[in-house]
Amino acid sequence: MTKREEPKPSSNESSTITTRASRSRLKSILIEVAIQAANYALILLVSLLAGGLVILFAGKNPIEAYGALFDGALGGTLKIADTLDRASVLILAGLAAAVAFRTSVWNLGLEGQLYMGAFAAAWVGFSFHGLPLAIHITLVLLAGIVAGALWALPAIFLKIRWNVNEVVSTLMLNYIAILFTAYLVAFPFKDPAALFPGTPVLDASARLPRLIPGSVLNIGFILALVLAFVVNWFMFRSKQGYELRMVGLNARFAGYAGMPVKQSAFLAMMLSGALVGLGGAVVIAGFFGRFITSFSVGYGWDGMLISLLAQNHPLGVIPAALFYAGLSNGGMAMQSATGVDQAVVTVVKGTLLAFVTVKVFIDFLNRRLRKWAPSTS
Amino acid sequence: MGTLDILGRILTISLFATTLRMTTPVLFATLGGVFSAQAGIFNVGLEGLLTIGAFFAVVGSVTTGSAWGGLAFALVSCLIASLGFAIIHLELGADEIIVGLALNFIGYGLTNFLLIAMLDSTGFFQSPLLVGFETIRISLIDNLPVIGDLFSGHFSLVYLSFISVALAHWFLYNTPWGFHLRAVGENEEAAVAVGINARLMKYFGLSMSGVMCAFGGTFLSLAYLNLFSEGMPAGRGWLALAAINFGEGKPVKSMVAALIFGFTDALAIGLQQFGLPSQIVLMLPYVTTLVVLVFSAIRQQRRATATLAAAAAAEA
Amino acid sequence: MAEAVALLDITKTFPGVVANKDVSLSVQEGEIMAIVGENGAGKTTLMRILYGLEKPDTGTIQVKGKEVKLPSARAAIAEGIGMVHQHFKLVPSYTLAQNVVLGVEPRRGLFVDQKRELEIVNDLSKRYGLAVDGERLTCDASVGEQQRAEILKALYRGADILILDEPTAVLTDGETEELFGMLRRLAADGKSILFISHKLREVLAISDSTTVMRRGEVVGTVQTAATDRRELAEMMIGRETVGGRIREDSVQLGEPVLEIIDLNVQDARCITSVLDANLVLRQGQVLGIAGVDGNGQVELVEAITGLRPVSSGRILLDGKEIQNGKPRQIRQAGVAHIPSDRNATGVALEAHVWENLIAVDYFASPYSGKMALALSRIFADAKDVILRFGVQTPSLKSSTNNLSGGNIQRLIVARELGLERAQVVVAAQPTRGVDIAGTEEIREMLLDYTREGAGVLLISADLDEILVLSDLVMVMYEGHLSDAGKVDDTIRQRVGQLMTGGSIDDQT
Repeated sequence: MTKREEPKPSSNESSTITTRASRSRLKSILIEVAIQAANYALILLVSLLAGGLVILFAGKNPIEAYGALFDGALGGTLKIADTLDRASVLILAGLAAAVAFRTSVWNLGLEGQLYMGAFAAAWVGFSFHGLPLAIHITLVLLAGIVAGALWALPAIFLKIRWNVNEVVSTLMLNYIAILFTAYLVAFPFKDPAALFPGTPVLDASARLPRLIPGSVLNIGFILALVLAFVVNWFMFRSKQGYELRMVGLNARFAGYAGMPVKQSAFLAMMLSGALVGLGGAVVIAGFFGRFITSFSVGYGWDGMLISLLAQNHPLGVIPAALFYAGLSNGGMAMQSATGVDQAVVTVVKGTLLAFVTVKVFIDFLNRRLRKWAPSTS
Repeated sequence: MGTLDILGRILTISLFATTLRMTTPVLFATLGGVFSAQAGIFNVGLEGLLTIGAFFAVVGSVTTGSAWGGLAFALVSCLIASLGFAIIHLELGADEIIVGLALNFIGYGLTNFLLIAMLDSTGFFQSPLLVGFETIRISLIDNLPVIGDLFSGHFSLVYLSFISVALAHWFLYNTPWGFHLRAVGENEEAAVAVGINARLMKYFGLSMSGVMCAFGGTFLSLAYLNLFSEGMPAGRGWLALAAINFGEGKPVKSMVAALIFGFTDALAIGLQQFGLPSQIVLMLPYVTTLVVLVFSAIRQQRRATATLAAAAAAEA
Repeated sequence: MAEAVALLDITKTFPGVVANKDVSLSVQEGEIMAIVGENGAGKTTLMRILYGLEKPDTGTIQVKGKEVKLPSARAAIAEGIGMVHQHFKLVPSYTLAQNVVLGVEPRRGLFVDQKRELEIVNDLSKRYGLAVDGERLTCDASVGEQQRAEILKALYRGADILILDEPTAVLTDGETEELFGMLRRLAADGKSILFISHKLREVLAISDSTTVMRRGEVVGTVQTAATDRRELAEMMIGRETVGGRIREDSVQLGEPVLEIIDLNVQDARCITSVLDANLVLRQGQVLGIAGVDGNGQVELVEAITGLRPVSSGRILLDGKEIQNGKPRQIRQAGVAHIPSDRNATGVALEAHVWENLIAVDYFASPYSGKMALALSRIFADAKDVILRFGVQTPSLKSSTNNLSGGNIQRLIVARELGLERAQVVVAAQPTRGVDIAGTEEIREMLLDYTREGAGVLLISADLDEILVLSDLVMVMYEGHLSDAGKVDDTIRQRVGQLMTGGSIDDQT
């Protein structure tokens, strides 16, 4: 295979264009980043204002309340550690959503895949004894990954084979997973000594080691961070990730260019399930120490919102997840400190989502407008 | 106990009566989705609309002191929500699935927040001020042996839900606007070519989603139960999507699927008396939905290949 | 006979192209006028202006001697103008009667009066001799019956002037005869009919007069009885010798690199779109396939590139069978493909320029290793390639939808020709929507490619492009591939005959 050798310059001078181009390119990148940052700052401000209004409405002092929220999230090492720990599963769920959504696979089954991963991890944790720490933990985490991926499998199989809409099928699998694990906990794997319905406690060798003694922050957080970078590399630097993204942007074009469209959808869905399943494992082995039926406060759904907030970008998921975690922790502290109910946090989240979705729509609008406007050449 | 005994204990008249009651909320949501589907929009926000309807029905009932007042509040709020969906999807051009999802999230979050802000409660709200619906006895059939037990003594909304199926069918297949709406959903170019305002039809379809879900949500909080709780619809909005898929967007066919789900819901309650674990039994509606989904998909695929083959044979 | 409709000095331009220039024509009551011309002649734009779907820049429209403004289809319908489009606008699940009355249904209170609906359709059907079974479901009806329903739809709304866009494109010979009978009856009834066609045999059979358009202008309007196919084809396609030819006339051709043998391909509706096609493309050769859009070219290209299965026949690349192969395998075997619909299938508009450039070659060395993309190599080659092919973009990382249509086309050409070597280039409408400079450059690039031994299969609706580039010309008409021979002084006449349904030895 030969590559053509003789360069044939066209009607413009090449070298001047390059320097001119790179200078203006830098400028345009900076401008773009500034615009995005300004947009998000504005949306955040408005959402906080909305929450502030709610607090006023309830007859309390917003500044005091937000102060308590901030303190609850970031006031002191222990609290920061707690926020970071809460962010671990959110990062993983966000990554799961990002991979699927970028491939235009609508995996709404994150919550169910989370549950299955969590339970499988717990099972490996309390069923095997006498294993060295490193091995036991690896098995626990692997169990989460495999269970999450397997629970995503039926939906994508049905889609590929019989064109069953994955929106509804993944949602049904959510409910089935939650009920199924509830059953497992209530009957075969019940821990009679427990206060809350749950499985037996995981062996000490299956618990994720703490990062800061005395806090709940464990290596799960490091794992989540590392995976964010791995997924980022995968999506933007590997050929498989490139395929997923192209299929997500224009599947017909991808097929015309020779890319494997169905395999890409399959891979995206399995990776998605694996990532959020891992998140479940991290929550169980890192925080709870056993599987309890109410372990998730909607982490799977939060993952979707986080990914949408971050424009489905793996690295953007990190700050979005940290923000969410901070809001949740801060909310609880705010409630006990000032009596303002943490549902205010839901308001902030809801407004944030509303505006982000509107922002997404404004982006649509911008793109449409750019097509009408005179283009760059 | 022999099998016949067991069946006899499960398949009671009361089970079928319960089925009708359990079908109602899913059926309303299904009809809501049918209208937007016929206009060509896949509305995944039904769950959110049901939540909004259920919540504002309670607010309305407490405020006006009547159940019908509650319904009125529900109707207004759901209409506003679905018009919001319509504007963002139709005017701003956003993807219908994302907007639908947003509607669900916002519905969930907003109602939880308002639960505290307006009703001063967390998680769920119950009050003696809440006026719910009463059941109706139809004197004509009330004393008949089987029919009376089956069909009399339901909430008015139950009867309304099934009547709505007939109304929806009549509207879609016998009125000019029904023809226009369906044309927009099936072949928008054909509709536009004869001067039908496609955008208006889509607004109408989405508004009807709101109206139907208002009824469905009201039923949940003012009839089926007399309270509002977080996550009340419990996935019925999603079941409705499966019903629409099964029924290919047609009111009567989709009703059949909704009845199946209502039946499994009622069955789940009934089976619990046998000491079967509640969690397994409660899975029934969702597993059934999956099975129904797969069957409809296979059937639709087979029919598509058959049409192609027939066309080929006709050409030959 | 009174004048029914007249178009006077109609001019319409779109960005970059003059679609209609000072076009005037006049149709009498009861007259059947055919509008003929090749792709891009401006016939469809003209008819869309008449139907209110486009507004002319200058010029007027007169109906029955009175000047009218037609800002929308509704306005046109109100003036008695009806149009039957090439692709029917019917709702498949409705009955034919329901489709005919759609939008203006007869009512009884709140209901649609279904009985009256049927009566209306039956009456119309009998009155105009257009057999339509109102109760039949549209998806069950034959194409001919669907078309009759479309005509009834226009008549129901009071059309006195009927526009038919390529009506016989989807009909069998028998159905065409039936259609003509109906048209004659309608004309006898005082209706005026304008129909667009590129099939001269039919035009000669049915029309009273024929207006020939070429490059946006009217070449002439003749009485059909006074002309013949040869003359019409010449008017349509011109008779000038091919000027501006950029291909040298004596080229060294090598071994056959692509052979198509007795190929039959069906389209999505299981209708045979390619019939017993045969062609041989040699190394270093440009083989141009001319023909009006819709005669099977898309299906042929899809069959060659593995995007569509074949029902019978063989396609050989370098002697090896590739029919029914996977698209990637065929590409790797050495086939490059410039698709005709660049936005739908040629690029992902929201991706970066480099991502689109690398779409065909990314998965193997040197552009990727086992897992990772070799980004520095990709960017280096991409930069080189966009310079060589003149793709104007602020950066490789720009979003592709920031580029103009012409630049996107250059990007696609750069991708297909610039990176890996191909043996065969299938170029479908390669310069559509590209400016003059870009068009010249792309054509030169295709020729360059042949000088290094590749074969180019050029499919274009632009006849000039074919004539200026090809060594050998073939014509596709209704699924048949016919040989028009080398480009010489009479090539236009031969191609004209073949493109309009005749054969080379035709004298009339």
